[in-house]
Amino acid sequence: MRIAIVVLAATLGTAWAQDIKMPPAFDKLAAKAEESVDVTLDSGMLQLGGKFLSDKDADEAKAKKLIGGLKGIYVRSFEFAKEGEYSAADVDALRSQLQPPVWSRVVGVTSKKGGEITEVYFKTSNGAQIGGLVVIDAEPKELTVVSISGAISPEDLADLGGQFGIPKVELPKSKGKEAK
Amino acid sequence: MSRLDDALREALRREEPPEGFAGRVMARIEARKERAGAWDGLMAAWRGPRLRWAGALAGAVLLIGTAAYQETQRAEGEQAKRQVMLALRITGAKLDLARARIQRVGYGLGDR
Repeated sequence: MRIAIVVLAATLGTAWAQDIKMPPAFDKLAAKAEESVDVTLDSGMLQLGGKFLSDKDADEAKAKKLIGGLKGIYVRSFEFAKEGEYSAADVDALRSQLQPPVWSRVVGVTSKKGGEITEVYFKTSNGAQIGGLVVIDAEPKELTVVSISGAISPEDLADLGGQFGIPKVELPKSKGKEAK
Repeated sequence: MSRLDDALREALRREEPPEGFAGRVMARIEARKERAGAWDGLMAAWRGPRLRWAGALAGAVLLIGTAAYQETQRAEGEQAKRQVMLALRITGAKLDLARARIQRVGYGLGDR
């Protein structure tokens, strides 16, 4: 009985720390994928990595500042040789955890033509900061999920795009449709 | 004889030691010899090549162990750093992609 309680507490503890639990089906997707990325950084690993980030390098200094308030970063990315290697149920298993009032979907773009789904969720927080972030990018031959747990300031979030060696994407604004 | 002679004789007259005095003195001498023997033995052993080699070996093991631990910590730290940068690059790329797709459909975050 005691062992069961300890195991349950440990499981709940891990789940709580990670906030979002990556669906077990993702492990099987890694075997099917041509290329896969699996990054699991809990608070301890983030602290350790932070010690090795240089203040002199601009990207590393920004990363160091950003991870200061984080509890974990989890990334799963799969690139498949052909379409249909993952199912909608795989994504739904993750999406079902991102429910209001804790989570809010701030971005949801679905392209039926291209078969692309991009969703960004924020974890609600009492202060001026975001309590967590989940990005889902599902394409016919690619699936990427990013889960960031912990406090992120809007400035840091803005810094994330167009930083870390990635050129900022600035497309000309479409004049045909109104902003939502 | 003078009174001075008498006084000297009285002061320097032979007196028998208390019973067991010689035995106690000899026992203390023996005990001191034993203590000195143990210490000398240890020092002699240290001066001997075997213990000196063992000491040097223990020092070397400690040194190598510390260096190996530090190297492991450094490697883990570097690995964690690479993972942090990779994770943030992927996140940044996906946020940019989301922004680009929003802009493509005409209601960009940049409009807010």
